[in-house]
Amino acid sequence: MIHFSNVSKVYDHQTALRNITFSVEKGEMAFITGPSGAGKSTLLRIIYLSEKPDEGSVTIADWELSKLKESSIPFLRRNIGVVFQDFRLLDNRNVFDNVAMTLRIRGIMEDEVKERVMDILKTVNLRHKADSFPKTLSGGEQQRVVIARAIVGEPTILLADEPTGNLDSDTAAGITRMFKDINAKGTTVLVATHNRELFRNTGRKVIRLDNGNMVGEEIG
Amino acid sequence: MYLLYSLRLAIQSVWREKWINLLSVLTIAAGLFMITLTFFSVYNMDLATKKLPAKFSMMLYLNEGLSEQDTGNIIAILKKNNAVERVRFISKDKALQELKGVLKNADYVLEGINENPLPASIEVKLKQESVSLPSVKKLAADIKKINGIEEVEYGEQFLNSIHSIKAGAQTLSLLLVVVMSTGIIFVCYSTVKIMFYRRKEEIETFKLLGATRGFIRAPFVIEGGLLGAGGGLVSLLGAIAFYYILFYKLAITMPILKIIVFPSEIFVALPFVGLMLGISGAIIALGRIRFS
Ligand SMILES: Nc1ncnc2c1ncn2[C@@H]1O[C@H](COP(=O)(O)OP(=O)(O)OP(=O)(O)O)[C@@H](O)[C@H]1O
Ligand SMILES: [Mg+2]
Repeated sequence: MIHFSNVSKVYDHQTALRNITFSVEKGEMAFITGPSGAGKSTLLRIIYLSEKPDEGSVTIADWELSKLKESSIPFLRRNIGVVFQDFRLLDNRNVFDNVAMTLRIRGIMEDEVKERVMDILKTVNLRHKADSFPKTLSGGEQQRVVIARAIVGEPTILLADEPTGNLDSDTAAGITRMFKDINAKGTTVLVATHNRELFRNTGRKVIRLDNGNMVGEEIG
Repeated sequence: MYLLYSLRLAIQSVWREKWINLLSVLTIAAGLFMITLTFFSVYNMDLATKKLPAKFSMMLYLNEGLSEQDTGNIIAILKKNNAVERVRFISKDKALQELKGVLKNADYVLEGINENPLPASIEVKLKQESVSLPSVKKLAADIKKINGIEEVEYGEQFLNSIHSIKAGAQTLSLLLVVVMSTGIIFVCYSTVKIMFYRRKEEIETFKLLGATRGFIRAPFVIEGGLLGAGGGLVSLLGAIAFYYILFYKLAITMPILKIIVFPSEIFVALPFVGLMLGISGAIIALGRIRFS
């Protein structure tokens, strides 16, 4: 589902990724780990086409990204749900509207939008916060809104960038459980995290980055 | 389709930035009102100059000593011409009589003149539609070739100057319309540009969530259209007020104003013209939307 082959990415003075090769198969749940600045976010950004690799090739669901027409990018992105490290919630919209955005962008009718958003808010236990604005929510609640927005469109791939960033271990465990459930329904899940607890003893693939280099691929 | 949602976003945005938008609408309205006034002036000038040539005629002075037969022939030839509406023959005697009529008590100037010095002439009235400068010139040249005609006289200078005044005014008003339209497009352009920059973050997020170019553009294009149409509507009110004041207030004291005509079709067009200009401004402001 996700194939990197000798991918490198260089920012102005910083090599963010060097010669990265790995695969995540359809229906798999895998992790990317490594210290801060290792290149985890950069790797995910390449998958959701927010960055272009300088070298190497990336294939997502049979799409070779360098051959993708620009006008097709939105349609590929609709198959990829992203939990952004910096959330990217819209502060001037309430929780409902933030989550609904994913569906409205696709031109889904309001009746269906309402139904699906309420369903997903129930899943992440935020139904009672539907009318709240992001700024008034706790970190964990905001995190769950972002997750709800990422999965409400039933993507084939779910990317989560540091989804348990500043959360206590109980809340983190709850979120991990949610990802497992989503994965069990067939979604390919790729989680970037420096938190070992998330993948320890899961038996899932863990890709280890350090300073832009791939330093190992192991089973957690 | 997402257009309903786009409409909602556009209306939200119009409301949220109501002062900027109000300012834009008023500016657009002012521009459109000036365009209306320009059209109005040109339209009336056109009507006025169209009515002028209705009184337009040519004088053909005949050679001395033409027989009645020759004169008859010339008149027949003229009558056959498509551009000619009416032909009137003025004999030497008639000309003198008319002159005397004009001079009235001052007819002593003619004392001592034994022989009638005035030539016989033919007055040719032209059909209204053929009184354009080039066609009159051509006609005059053609007529001059007819045997027995000494001279053709028509208000060449007068026609020339009317023609050039008209052309000048038209060029000027065209220029004004172009400048005003560009100005209106620019106002919409800047307003939409401001809105776009204010929502840049949000738009980036939309893109990452899989929004197409259409989805991103639609609210702004609708907003530009609303601004333009709003300006059109306000200028329409202005035009109606202008019309009312001109015909119902000023015309009472200055009846001459009654001859002015206001083409009311222009009223209906205003919001539509505004809409088009607004949409154009918005589209230019958005430019190319890139995803990576
Ligand atoms: N837009 C950018 N311009 C320049 N350098 C960048 C940019 N984005 C990332 N970098 C650099 O690339 C390297 C990798 O960054 P990246 O965000 O991928 O790390 P990360 O593994 O996600 O770190 P963290 O765990 O702190 O989120 C860093 O050294 C960072 O400074
Ligand atoms: Mg990161």
